[in-house]
Amino acid sequence: MNKTLLGYVPEQSPIYVVHPFVKLFFMLVVSLFPIVIYAPEWNALIMLVIILLMWYSRVDMKTLKIYVPVAISMGTIILISYTVLGGNHPEFRLLVRFAGINFYWERIRDGLVVYFRILPMIFTMVFFLSTSRERDVIVAMRFVKIPFVVTYVFAMALRSAGLVLEDFFIIRQAEQARGFDTTGKSLWYKIRKYIMYMIPLFALSLRRAEEFTNALVARGYAFTGEAARVKRPDYVLTHYTFKTLDMSLTAAISAIFLIILILRYGYGYFTLDTSVFISWLSRVL
Amino acid sequence: MSSIIHIKDFTWRYISADKPAVKNINLTIDEGKFVGVIGQNGAGKTSLAYAIDGLIPGQYHGVKEGEVNVLGTEVEQFHKGMLQQVVGMVFADPEAQFTAMTVEDELVFGMENLGMSIPEIKERLEWVCTLTDMTPLLAKPPYEISGGQKQRVALAAVLAMTPRVMILDEPTSMLDPYSRKRVFDVLGKLKHENKMTVIVIEHSLENLIPLADEMILMSHGELIRHQETHEFFQDIDFLLANGVYPPETPLFFHELRKRGYYKGPIPVTNEEAIKVFPCKTGG
Amino acid sequence: MQGSTSGKELTAAQIWSVEKGEKRSVNVIHIVITALLIGIGFVVGAFGSISFPLGFGVNFFWTGIAVQQVGSIWFGMWGVIAGAIFPFFSNAISGTPFYVSLAYIPANFVQGFLPAWAFRFFKADPRLKTGRDYLILLGAMIVSSAFGALWSPLVVLKGFGLLTTDSVPMFIWGWFGGNVVAGLVFNFILLKALSPVVIKTAAFVKKWWA
Repeated sequence: MNKTLLGYVPEQSPIYVVHPFVKLFFMLVVSLFPIVIYAPEWNALIMLVIILLMWYSRVDMKTLKIYVPVAISMGTIILISYTVLGGNHPEFRLLVRFAGINFYWERIRDGLVVYFRILPMIFTMVFFLSTSRERDVIVAMRFVKIPFVVTYVFAMALRSAGLVLEDFFIIRQAEQARGFDTTGKSLWYKIRKYIMYMIPLFALSLRRAEEFTNALVARGYAFTGEAARVKRPDYVLTHYTFKTLDMSLTAAISAIFLIILILRYGYGYFTLDTSVFISWLSRVL
Repeated sequence: MSSIIHIKDFTWRYISADKPAVKNINLTIDEGKFVGVIGQNGAGKTSLAYAIDGLIPGQYHGVKEGEVNVLGTEVEQFHKGMLQQVVGMVFADPEAQFTAMTVEDELVFGMENLGMSIPEIKERLEWVCTLTDMTPLLAKPPYEISGGQKQRVALAAVLAMTPRVMILDEPTSMLDPYSRKRVFDVLGKLKHENKMTVIVIEHSLENLIPLADEMILMSHGELIRHQETHEFFQDIDFLLANGVYPPETPLFFHELRKRGYYKGPIPVTNEEAIKVFPCKTGG
Repeated sequence: MQGSTSGKELTAAQIWSVEKGEKRSVNVIHIVITALLIGIGFVVGAFGSISFPLGFGVNFFWTGIAVQQVGSIWFGMWGVIAGAIFPFFSNAISGTPFYVSLAYIPANFVQGFLPAWAFRFFKADPRLKTGRDYLILLGAMIVSSAFGALWSPLVVLKGFGLLTTDSVPMFIWGWFGGNVVAGLVFNFILLKALSPVVIKTAAFVKKWWA
């Protein structure tokens, strides 16, 4: 198994055939689709395609379970925002009035539309995180010639996030060994406990900063001066070739986006007016 | 043999400290020598190592007096990043030295900093992997390898830059005995095959002594003894008085000498000790 | 970097002043600190985003504010940069869409920048020695969180069409309260406990970059 930013992917996964840049490009461009597509059925289709891609890539689909509470809470927030906090609008079509709250058709419709626009954006991000190893992201960034210092900071940040998590568990065990346990305690107590974690975490990270710096300097890395102007070979890129398949996929993603833009702004597709689902829902309600 | 490191009247006080970490250090190390540096904690060993590698005063606030010269040039005169092409350093904590996402990236990082070409990097990578037995680990991320493996990676990463001087600051303090031996096996290869100048700060003397040409003893920030290894371990009482506990072999022969059972020079390794006793042939 | 400042107790003005003969320059440690702050913020911020979500990366109690503001006070622009970047990652893990997270960057930038500026401009002591230091910190926290609260729900979420006009106040107060309350819990204690150590390190930034 190979560890990705969110979980694991088997070593035999077809996703490795694709250059890391294509995965990054997919995430950046496909995340834009729901911004221009309002019709819920089309956004639902995007979600389905992404789920199928995840399944095809042999991602552990249990990863999606993590985001079920997120999807539910987001849906709830949107529903509340568009109904309970939707205000009074006599110009809208009132569906029902319940417990003093007006439920308008336009608000329900808009809430659904927003929800179905957000979900594919989340799914696109989840797909990217669960199919990309840390190195893939760095390779993608180096491929598009993002300056080395930026990619290196990113790599170090990922590395330090892992170290901070390890430190957190060690500190928690140390605190528990000293009888500091929050089981059954109040929320305020639990909040205060995090101070007991935050201070050692910061202190450990400060010490680590000095050690990391010494290690970097010892390897000849310099941020300023003559050594910083040395042209770095991108050795990591030698392991990845941008093949015809990658070019085709990049072109296909770009073409699809272009077509969506033309259909949307040239011919009025993907709007609420042309949405089959919205029309059906309007008749039903 | 020409000197590669020359330190003259060097004193360093960290900005937040009242006393100097090292004072009045005068030291010359010839090229190709394997030097062991020992002493109690807080003796100034690490500060001395940092001074040779340019981390002092480059990365630390403090007050410096005297000179630290490498290849005839004061360390402060080197441009940023240039001294480290000559002097490589391996630190005690393997966890803190791993900044890349895979072993291979870690090994290549230093060479990329030097601006080496891809073919050169590939060649050097192959060489260092063979030397340190790293090949099976290349694709692994840092969290999947043991502490001993990480330390060998750190060693390999610095070796790949082929510095003329290697400094190792307690490289095996966090390792188990087997991993410790493996690190010293690599150092042994460096000594015998590559004739590199190696300076090792260590508390584990059993592995250090067989390799060291010279030994340095530091105490309370001062360099109090610098001798060829055999000579260094002839005055065991002095070492004990300064908080250094030699390995069992020289300690044993020291005890024998104190009690009058032995009068010869103190052997420093088991192989030398065995030669002290007359050879028994079978039959 | 050599400094002439001794280890004796420093005044607030001395902490922020570059002494005569003191040489300070941008160094590798600043890059490392930026990366480490992003790493800490990623973990701490994700905790807040997952534990106390309001929606779209807005939280009732966002622990990441401590890394943003305290990091910026100690490390100047390096902390500000880290504070602007790490929420992007912590939000991504907690399910906030990519472009929404991207659009939050100005808010997160200001939330880190303003306390850093206030401490340097008013020469407040990061060790929080006097009531004035506390007030400056509190004021900076409130003003910066107010900006963030106005920018993010009003400009970003309303701009993306994710909220109705009527629900915007809830998110504004949620963002503002979530940051200020968490800041009250963490910022003061962190500064009080760790500033005496941090100001002596090579990473501490007196001006903006070194």
